[in-house]
Amino acid sequence: MEKVLLGFAAALAVGLCAIATGWAQSRIGSAGAGTLAEKPELSGTIIILLAIPETMVILGFVVAAMILYL
Amino acid sequence: MNDMIVAMSKVEIIGPMELLLPALDRVRALGLFQVEQEMRGFVDREDEKAFRSVRLDKKTLAERLYFDDLLAKIDQLAGFLPKLPTRCSYLEPHSAVGIVADVVDKHTLLCSGLCRRRDALEGERGELLRQTAFLDALEPLFKTAGEGTDLDFIGVSLKNSEAVDHLYQLIARLTGDTFEFVTTSGPEGAIIVLITLPVELGAKVRDVLNGERIPELAFPASLGQLPFPDKVRAVRRRIGDIGGELDRVNAELQRFAFRWWPTYQCVREWLLDRLALLTTTAAIHKTDLCFFIHGWMPSPDVPRLRSALNGEFQGRVVVEEQEALEEEMEDIPIAIRNPPYFRPFELFTRILPLPSYRSYDPTPFIGIFFPIFFGMILGDVGYGLLLLACALVMLKLFRTRRDLHDAALILLVSSCYAVVFGFLYGECFGGTAGGWRLLEQTCVIERSRSIMPMLAFSLSIGVAHVTLGLCLGFWSTLRRRLVRESLAKLVNILLLLCLAALAVSLFSPFPPPVRKSLNAAVLVAIPLMLLTGGLLAPLEMMKNIGNIVSYARIMAIGLASVLIAQVANRFAGLTGDVLTGAVAGGLLHLINIALGIFSPTIHSLRLHYVEFFDKFMVYGGRRFEPFKKPSG
Repeated sequence: MEKVLLGFAAALAVGLCAIATGWAQSRIGSAGAGTLAEKPELSGTIIILLAIPETMVILGFVVAAMILYL
Repeated sequence: MNDMIVAMSKVEIIGPMELLLPALDRVRALGLFQVEQEMRGFVDREDEKAFRSVRLDKKTLAERLYFDDLLAKIDQLAGFLPKLPTRCSYLEPHSAVGIVADVVDKHTLLCSGLCRRRDALEGERGELLRQTAFLDALEPLFKTAGEGTDLDFIGVSLKNSEAVDHLYQLIARLTGDTFEFVTTSGPEGAIIVLITLPVELGAKVRDVLNGERIPELAFPASLGQLPFPDKVRAVRRRIGDIGGELDRVNAELQRFAFRWWPTYQCVREWLLDRLALLTTTAAIHKTDLCFFIHGWMPSPDVPRLRSALNGEFQGRVVVEEQEALEEEMEDIPIAIRNPPYFRPFELFTRILPLPSYRSYDPTPFIGIFFPIFFGMILGDVGYGLLLLACALVMLKLFRTRRDLHDAALILLVSSCYAVVFGFLYGECFGGTAGGWRLLEQTCVIERSRSIMPMLAFSLSIGVAHVTLGLCLGFWSTLRRRLVRESLAKLVNILLLLCLAALAVSLFSPFPPPVRKSLNAAVLVAIPLMLLTGGLLAPLEMMKNIGNIVSYARIMAIGLASVLIAQVANRFAGLTGDVLTGAVAGGLLHLINIALGIFSPTIHSLRLHYVEFFDKFMVYGGRRFEPFKKPSG
């Protein structure tokens, strides 16, 4: 039972963070697409901005790893 | 200062007024000197009144206005001409200026007339082509309806079948069933209807259709008197005629461009060159006898400029190097020169704002760390070798395209690191060290089975990288004499290292005296951090810790990559057939390689831009733009 709960907690840690990251990226992506239409030279900056929210899911992954392995 | 940002010298060029234009021309030919309009910083404040801007005399001013006007006319003419590769003109531009000025108005009139004609023809053809789409649908209906002089034809386009029923009932009521009604499908889902009815009923039906807002297929007014089938034939004939006429107009414009544009181009370049010289004179100052040109140039090039001017003007034009003041440091223009290895990595730093003069050029840092991070994330011998081959092919294909050539060079270096880390991780196309003798010998850690050790490894990379950033920030603030900020950076570094050591001690306990010392150091560092960094210092510290945790992506994305590769291998094995397995596994590996280029690139860059540069980079420099001849 404890293993199931641990697995569930780890899944929640990654899953919720992934949803949050996806939502943030969707907002940045749509704004970025609008920006690109006007200033194509900003493509590099927009790709980087798009990668910024991924920290959330990385943090979630670290927490999940700690739940499972520590 | 970072070596990659070129050291700049504050320079003053002084000479007699009569040598101003020749001296300026020589300076421009060398292309080493950026002229500054602002005199402040170059001349003592009390002496500023003795200087005034060089004003053009009446003759030169008239010349400048004449050139400006001619340039505008040539640009207007260029707008009418097709962009064709043109031959090079060997005319002496100065002597051709007068001739060009005489004919440019006549030529503009001619070309604008041709362009107007072309636009009108294209508009007419577009409209007729739109109608042709309906005519194509109508043509078979004529065969059904037949042709006759006592018959009238009305063509309409309707959106749906309900409208067709409504129209049928309407026409039946109006004509007393003396009509023929045929339909067919037209472009974009429209329903095309051809109504054939006696000539005497035509006007009545048209009136009612207008009232019902059902538009008849419109034809040009010139075809108004013709019967419907003749209209169709006339439209097709006209489209053909327009094509021929358009070809003639375009050929005439091309002939004109081929014959005249090289001359115009040659004169235009000369005008731009001359105007740049005359415009720059406005940024130059003079006294009653001398001119003074103030500006910046790379320090290593000062002797070259000095000897060039000495040689040409026999010492009458002097180059004087001045000491840059502290308050001018942020205004010094930035020129960046990197060694050949780092130059391709400028592709990544071009998207960043320019660093300030006393900051660092980010290119060498990306040049060193980016390929390492890329290799650590991808870390597969097979993928690395494939990417290496891709990079070599790209290098061969894109010799002349600078950005793609740079990207290929970056891929080349990064894939080498991917191969090296592939050996250390013991991975080849997702296969682990167990299956390969060589990999077994070189394998240090198996990523797919050592999640926590890899996480610790990634975080330790983060600690090292962020600490390096903080150290560079400390040095940068110290050089700018920002004592408090530099102390805050130093305390941050100490606290971060102590916290990292304490975190390590959780897994492998240190001897009690060491641990106690670390605790004491943390307790001392916290108030010091508040003293030097203010109330926001704890937030800064939390940000630093968050940045370090962000380096966990090195392990997380690498793990995802190796797991996808392993899934590809298992998937190939499950098919039970060599060929199908190879295709299925190969496709999955191909997707993984594509991800393996994109993900490590984005995330390595992000670690630099967001986590690393944030600690020490100061942006806001302005680009060094030397006064030189336009390259076009």
